[in-house]
Amino acid sequence: MPGVGDHVVDMTESFIAIRDALPYLLHGSMVTIGLVCGAMLLGLALGIVLAVGHVYGGQVIRSVVGVYVWFFRGVPLLVLLFLFYFGLFSFLNINLSAFTVAALVLGLISAAYQSQIFRGAILSLPEGQFKAARALGMSDRKSICYIILPQALRLSIPAWSNEYSIVLKDSAVAYALGVMEMMARAHFVASRTYEHFPLYFTAGVMFLILTYLGTRGLGFLEKKVRIPGYAR
Amino acid sequence: MTQTPVLRIEGMTKRYGQKEVLRDASLSVNEGQLKILIGPSGGGKSTLLQCINFLVTPDAGRVWLKGEEIVRTQKKVLYEYRQKLGMIFQDFNLFDHLTALHNVTIGLVRVKGMSKQDARDKAVYELERVGLKDHISKYPAQLSGGQKQRVSIARALAMDPEVMLLDEPTSALDPELISEVLTVIENLRANGMTMVMSTHHMGFAREVADEIVFLEDGHILEVGTPDKIFLNAECDRTRAFCSKILELYGSA
Ligand SMILES: Nc1ncnc2c1ncn2[C@@H]1O[C@H](COP(=O)(O)OP(=O)(O)O)[C@@H](O)[C@H]1O
Ligand SMILES: [Mg+2]
Repeated sequence: MPGVGDHVVDMTESFIAIRDALPYLLHGSMVTIGLVCGAMLLGLALGIVLAVGHVYGGQVIRSVVGVYVWFFRGVPLLVLLFLFYFGLFSFLNINLSAFTVAALVLGLISAAYQSQIFRGAILSLPEGQFKAARALGMSDRKSICYIILPQALRLSIPAWSNEYSIVLKDSAVAYALGVMEMMARAHFVASRTYEHFPLYFTAGVMFLILTYLGTRGLGFLEKKVRIPGYAR
Repeated sequence: MTQTPVLRIEGMTKRYGQKEVLRDASLSVNEGQLKILIGPSGGGKSTLLQCINFLVTPDAGRVWLKGEEIVRTQKKVLYEYRQKLGMIFQDFNLFDHLTALHNVTIGLVRVKGMSKQDARDKAVYELERVGLKDHISKYPAQLSGGQKQRVSIARALAMDPEVMLLDEPTSALDPELISEVLTVIENLRANGMTMVMSTHHMGFAREVADEIVFLEDGHILEVGTPDKIFLNAECDRTRAFCSKILELYGSA
């Protein structure tokens, strides 16, 4: 007859499983953080370029950006990962690690989303400021760098924070390429120890903690760069 | 007139679609002159002022600054030319993310290539001149309309312009703030600044303008001294406009 003691043993075993796997999972969280940081930074740089092209570019540039965004928002992440890793880079005979390809693909997708965040922010700025900048003798490039972007990026932080939490969750799919991030490690241990619940539970909690830390940090940044007296 | 005008424009024309909003407008402004553009809303005053520094690209028209024609298709020439024309907008167009001080220094540093320290000294001087010594580290959102417009004047003056273009500089201001901006403009005039300004402020126009330009439907219909325009206009349209404005705003 199963007694109370069995549960105690179960619970204890679960804790032991988590404890034993924790260093291994924590190492995985570093890989996850690396993936997400790489993807977000690539997405930021490329997203800004795409957004500026979308708003200020001519017909051709606008169409190119439109197709880019349509493609990377439309194709599933897993398809893109396989397409780039097993398809494109093998075909081109370029040897990149699974980690690099995953960060790259996540970054290219994020760039599509980020470009739309920045585009919206740029369009929400009063256009008179751009005029005033040009009236001072600034080139379009300088006006965009010194007047438009500093304001547009500030306005983008809340949406960017949201994008961060999405990329963080998406990064678990990199498991499919064999990148040893948190999900891959949880699966690896679980399939050997059969402690499925405690391991996936721990992985889930670790994702939540990373989401929390990231969005808190960005919330803090938003307050810090808020323009005094500017109602939002 | 033997003097070369500081600013001369000729045949300025602008269409939006089928609509001609500026038709063959010509104007010349001498050193130290204040020209005031008047006319009904939608008459083309803003378009004319913005065609002068090519913020709006005219369909036709030529511009000379101190006798030299501006070739606007050469970017470098265009950017240098714009530095020499200070522009004041109706709704200020301050850079919201920068303090009053940095609104003024940014052009000096990023366009003129001045060192940060020199730019700061010059900006402080210009802000003091418009009476904003105590507000240099405030952001636009922390300033009143009159203060914002004075910052924008300081920002333009810091570039050492040859000519100032002012597009209804007091129209977005609460009545009690108008005089602080008009006083600054009067001081500029007393110091010999060459200016073209549009306004609905007829009292001011009559008192300080050297010449008044009446603009309606994109046509310059009449040019003359304030006395001539307000008391003795040749053109019916001018007379009709002036009497309507007098009715609306009281004695000019
Ligand atoms: N970007 C634009 N597109 C279309 N029409 C415009 C544009 N800017 C101005 N207009 C039109 O040009 C005319 C002149 O406008 P404006 O120069 O602003 O007159 P004012 O400054 O004298 O009030 C108006 O009829 C206005 O509707
Ligand atoms: Mg106007």
